[in-house]
Amino acid sequence: MTSKDKLIRTETLNLWYGEKQALYDITLGILPNKITALIGPSGCGKSTLIRCFNRMNDVIDKCKITGKIFFHETDIYRPDADAVEVRKKIGMVFQKPNPFPKTIYENVAYGSKVQGITNKNQLDEIVEKSLKNAALWDEVKDRLHESAMGLSGGQQQRLCIARSLSIEPEVILMDEPCSALDPIATAKIEDLMTGLKKKYTVIIVTHNMQQAARVSDYTAYMYLGKLIEFGETKQIFENPKEELTENYITGRFG
Amino acid sequence: MVKIFHLSWKGSLLKEKGMKTLFFLSAISAIIVIFSIIFFLFRDAYPIFQKEGVVDFLIGMRWYPTGQPPLYGAFPLIVDTLLVTLGAMLIAIPLSIGSAIFIAELATPRMKAIIKPAIELLAGIPSVVFGFFGLIVLVTWLQITFDVPTGESWLAGSILLGIMAIPTITSVAEDAISSVPREYKEGSLAVGATRWQTISKIVVPSAISGITAAIILGIGRAIGETMAVMMVCGNPTYGLIPNPITNVFAPIKTLTATLGIEMGEVATGSDHYSALFGLALILLIITLIVNILATLILGRLKEKQRSGSKRLPIISFELAKKIKQSLYLFIGIVIIIILLMAVGIIPVICILIIIALMYYSLKKISIKIKQKIAFSIISLSIIIVIIFLGIILAYIVTNGVGALSWEFLTTGPSNLGRSGGIFPSIIGTLYLVAGAIAISLPLGVGAAIFLHEYTKEGIVTKIIRAGADLLNGTPSIVFGLFGFAFFVLYLKFGFSLLAGQITLAFMILPTIIRTTEEALKSVPQSLREGSYALGATKWQTIRKVVLPPAAPGILTGAILGIGRAAGETAPILFTAVVFSNFIPSSLLQPVNALPYHLFTLATSIPGSKENQAGTALVLLLLVIGIYLIAILLRNRFRKNMKW
Ligand SMILES: Nc1ncnc2c1ncn2[C@@H]1O[C@H](COP(=O)(O)OP(=O)(O)OP(=O)(O)O)[C@@H](O)[C@H]1O
Ligand SMILES: [Mg+2]
Repeated sequence: MTSKDKLIRTETLNLWYGEKQALYDITLGILPNKITALIGPSGCGKSTLIRCFNRMNDVIDKCKITGKIFFHETDIYRPDADAVEVRKKIGMVFQKPNPFPKTIYENVAYGSKVQGITNKNQLDEIVEKSLKNAALWDEVKDRLHESAMGLSGGQQQRLCIARSLSIEPEVILMDEPCSALDPIATAKIEDLMTGLKKKYTVIIVTHNMQQAARVSDYTAYMYLGKLIEFGETKQIFENPKEELTENYITGRFG
Repeated sequence: MVKIFHLSWKGSLLKEKGMKTLFFLSAISAIIVIFSIIFFLFRDAYPIFQKEGVVDFLIGMRWYPTGQPPLYGAFPLIVDTLLVTLGAMLIAIPLSIGSAIFIAELATPRMKAIIKPAIELLAGIPSVVFGFFGLIVLVTWLQITFDVPTGESWLAGSILLGIMAIPTITSVAEDAISSVPREYKEGSLAVGATRWQTISKIVVPSAISGITAAIILGIGRAIGETMAVMMVCGNPTYGLIPNPITNVFAPIKTLTATLGIEMGEVATGSDHYSALFGLALILLIITLIVNILATLILGRLKEKQRSGSKRLPIISFELAKKIKQSLYLFIGIVIIIILLMAVGIIPVICILIIIALMYYSLKKISIKIKQKIAFSIISLSIIIVIIFLGIILAYIVTNGVGALSWEFLTTGPSNLGRSGGIFPSIIGTLYLVAGAIAISLPLGVGAAIFLHEYTKEGIVTKIIRAGADLLNGTPSIVFGLFGFAFFVLYLKFGFSLLAGQITLAFMILPTIIRTTEEALKSVPQSLREGSYALGATKWQTIRKVVLPPAAPGILTGAILGIGRAAGETAPILFTAVVFSNFIPSSLLQPVNALPYHLFTLATSIPGSKENQAGTALVLLLLVIGIYLIAILLRNRFRKNMKW
């Protein structure tokens, strides 16, 4: 594993919310076409870290970042980098399903529309393909022009996945995508993730140990804003090097 | 022992019942007031309806009560009212929405912390102060700049009303935009939309109901505004529709201005008197409709937020889109027709070509440049607003400060107010306000306690709240007419402090009910439960546990009410005030008041410029000072609210 293989690479990343430091010297690399899980106790900075990858923290006032994040060997935080361009390449699915209060069709077409695609046929194609990739097509194909708010939670979350797939990013960030869903919906999304990694690189935050063990190839364990251990999922779960990691994984954590 | 226990239990039960009845009575006071307003307006308007016929009164083309024969056609006054409101909204809506977007989405937290309360403060500037500025500065400026015989016109009214409506529309719209869930914004940004795309395609459409309500509220205020309109619109003796209808320099006469001017000169019980009440009834009905619309939209919105916006919208998105398109088409056609009439066919074609060119070049240019253009326009709108309001404040301060002195504040006027001070008006205003608050505070707090503590949400609370909302939207001049008909004539109080105090009290009642309710809402339920668990009765719980933490919030409402009462002119115009240096020694004597003193100096006493500005400054400082206290108190209170 050389640094050349890494799709995303952080270098001594530090982050502050105002006076309060939330990330300390994070250095890690994400391999392409793999699923990487971020785990750790509540408040340890998982969301904060994953939101750095698509510069979503730019939205938050008083958030200050030092260090570097390379995507394809270019620093996405260098002064002339454009957050909008970064987000076209690195999509995101949020913890709570957040469809827009528009139709199902409009939700999926939105990303393409804002990039200037107006051709109806092209949009139709994009919508169909994205919904199929998100395993939602069959359930909604007859009601594309109804409100997305009428979908169930699990359907809404898959719609959000379809929305992020619609602009064909390279990376998909998922922040606890299943925490608001029931076991069946969760299983559907987990299946989906495994399918996605053929085309995409996936980074997922999860509180569910089994989920991390089931779906991910690599796992990062974070604690109090620091990266404690990072390695292949199998190794992290079966043979952790750090005591902190072991405590957390075996549930001996306070 | 047992007996004593029994007795005291019975006593407290009686007290409980008594308190509940008391609160219920104050709660229905809002409804009683709104019904008595409608009743008294109708009673005094009835003769003219009978004589002229309701329809003829409404569509009669001439208002000329002093003519031979007198003509009572309300139509031109209604049209003039709508025209001046239309013009005001053309100015206020784009500027307010631009400002609201700026404050909610573009301003840094520090900027927001300054601009937001500043805009709220400006909403408190008394309308007579705006009128004074309009009369002295705006009207003269229009006359010179456009070389017209007089600047007192439709345009002057629209500009002034537009500026006055900006703070209201901006703060309500800003609230709506700010309450769009952050998740929507993040969802949009995450698929690579720019900030402007996110604002224009997601945030503003999501806030559209709140923005609509803000605009409707603004329209309601503009229609009901009296003093400023009366001072700058020219008010020709007979009401006429401008000819041609696009002539913005024509003097016009609105419903409110007609009431404000003619009510003082009319013989009680005459046809003219009755016709004026007919106008007031029309005005009340128009504003009621407007306010009901706004309340419905805002109410629907709140419900939607509570139910987690899971419910499907009633209008499908497709239909909404079609409605929007046809609306744009309609507005476009109206604008083209107006332009055609105003400037002729060739310039209109030129304008259309320019717009088409702009549209196509906009399509070509990159998303980023579009964002720059949009943000510049938005920033420009808030800059314009700040400049407008800054000019008004600066004018009043620089001109008024010369008159200001200890003597000005402590002596009576001489030479009809051209020299001397304003002591009687200050005292009069204090008397009026003190009386108004003494009446409305117990009523309003009682009503809120009943609404929030004694009843479940249901049909009763709905009706009472609707009554308070309607009262809130009633134009102040309508309160004035009601006060005149009821207190001055019917109850024979005459022009008196008491009549003015009660009229003002009714006007500020809804403010007090609403703010008190909010304060009660913010007291956590667990505190009440804790008190009941200790065996306290309802009234004991309210008095000992609920009211103390709610007190700052209630106080804020009271102060807001005081500020509003101190600045209002129209409600006291026909109930309490006389232009004099008389200080009343009984409740049944008339008074002078700051806003009325300013109004009279500005409109009827030539050569009193310095004292006008001085009075305006004192009034402005007084009212703004009161509002400032309320806002500071509320902000502190909100901070402490995090339990
Ligand atoms: N917008 C913010 N402003 C200030 N502090 C924040 C903000 N967002 C997060 N924090 C703080 O940063 C730290 C890390 O938060 P973060 O949301 O990244 O944790 P997390 O690991 O995702 O937790 P969870 O598992 O509960 O989602 C926490 O202490 C949190 O309080
Ligand atoms: Mg999190």
